[in-house]
Amino acid sequence: MNAINRYELYVLDEGEKSVEVTEDTKIPNAATIKIVKQDHTLANLLRSQLLGYPSVLFAGYKAPHPLQPHFLLKIQTDGSITPAAILEKACTDLIGMVATLESKFKREFTMNNVEGGVQEDAYGVPTSGAQWESGGSYVDLG
Amino acid sequence: MQSSDAEPIVRIRDLKKNSVNFVLENVDLSFANSFRRVMIADIPTVAIDMVEIETNTTVLPDEFIAHRLGMIPLVSTMCDEAMRYTRDCTCEVRCQYCAIELQLNVACHEANTTMHITSNMLEVVPTNKPGSYGSYDTDDGGEELAKRVENFGHPIGKDDPDVPPILICKIRMGQELRVRCIAKKGIAKEHAKWSPCSAVAFEYDPHNKLRHTSYWYEYDARAEWPLSENAKEEDPPRDDVPFDYNAKPTKFYMEVETDGSLGAQEVVHKGLQELQTKLANLILGLKPEPPENDAFQSGAGAGGGALGGQPNGAHDSSQLGGWGMPPPMASGGSAWSPPRAAGGAAGGAWGSSPARTGGGGGGGWGSPAAAPWGAPAGGSAASGSSGGWGSPAAQGWGSPAQQTNGWNVG
Repeated sequence: MNAINRYELYVLDEGEKSVEVTEDTKIPNAATIKIVKQDHTLANLLRSQLLGYPSVLFAGYKAPHPLQPHFLLKIQTDGSITPAAILEKACTDLIGMVATLESKFKREFTMNNVEGGVQEDAYGVPTSGAQWESGGSYVDLG
Repeated sequence: MQSSDAEPIVRIRDLKKNSVNFVLENVDLSFANSFRRVMIADIPTVAIDMVEIETNTTVLPDEFIAHRLGMIPLVSTMCDEAMRYTRDCTCEVRCQYCAIELQLNVACHEANTTMHITSNMLEVVPTNKPGSYGSYDTDDGGEELAKRVENFGHPIGKDDPDVPPILICKIRMGQELRVRCIAKKGIAKEHAKWSPCSAVAFEYDPHNKLRHTSYWYEYDARAEWPLSENAKEEDPPRDDVPFDYNAKPTKFYMEVETDGSLGAQEVVHKGLQELQTKLANLILGLKPEPPENDAFQSGAGAGGGALGGQPNGAHDSSQLGGWGMPPPMASGGSAWSPPRAAGGAAGGAWGSSPARTGGGGGGGWGSPAAAPWGAPAGGSAASGSSGGWGSPAAQGWGSPAQQTNGWNVG
């Protein structure tokens, strides 16, 4: 078939650069950053993180075409920092936030495990032995 | 998330093997949504990807059965380390590192009974002996097999009488189904069968105070619409308070339910790690391309810096402090690198092991398991910026892996 491999949506091609920064020629302190093989998951996260910084005047993204696996992130700053630098700062801040969240999740999970959370029946089905072996008594979702 | 915000809070309300219900506070809506998206679509699992039908005399057509087989969740614990993507593997077609073979061989010989072909009848073909089609890659030295749990790749709930098996087809006397399945690792962006989540519930602002939605109503929306359970967690709206159009949602109610291929806890952790990986790859991509260095030069340069400073880049602890050391490094980095390094020393082949093109100085970095951060976006992110690891700005990333790999020793 002539369909493209679906993994090309998220795997970089041979020698392909994941990020491309284009300085804006008409707007001061602005840049359009093309991020390849990523989607709204990353784009919207970065956009809203960038908008939280006082030195960012504008931050927005668009995914130009749903079949093209890249998005464009446009950033304008007040000049105290370059768009690429503030984007990097956004990433480091977010990674830090995710790391704290991760450790909090870990703590919560261990606390719940001690209370025996995992030992519960995971399927909400009464554990009545080999009722499935007899055949015919499936959970019929159809 | 605004940097002025308080720290994120998480509270688990209910934890079962395959579902977790939690409340996430002090994060941005966009983060909560990215977290949700990443858990649904970016976590690798194993699923049947190719089906060879040897005999099918059932009432269902071949493709119908192939599709049903693909949807069966297979145990995928620690999938990112226990298995390779076929496209990243060094083998020619498939091997025990990147594929799992399952067989199904059922025939009904009893009259007047309907026989049920279920997921429990799928048998995993052991990977420790060469397969019939040269699927066994002997001289590879991958550590993946050692990382697998005992029932890795088995249909979920097999040999557990409490778990109902998944019905594939019903047959009568004289009918037979004999198929061979190849299960592969993948993510749900490629096909939804690889999603570990059967459902992710996501709610915020149960009273609709922020007016992010508008209710249809006959006379009074508040009287006609039921409130969700989560509404008990928040104060009901007061009529004497004017609408705050600057308010932002801060409290998110989520329930992650998995199909059994991964535990709920693993999905949450892998989701967060995947987010970090995405962000870290972006940072790597933003670094300017340094002049091309010889592998040993860049290794030595970074080694010097690493010896002088903290492994986690203490020169900027305000930014790097928290995230230099936690899980991604621990699991993605150190978990695989010691055995890698050891294997390389024994075989003397670390430079040639990778399937990915390291290109010049990239060699060692592009090993199949990829650099700690390089897993999904893969080869070129890690290799293209290989010199970047050695530059001073990148020390936070580069040095721990180098030290664990023992690069700067030689």
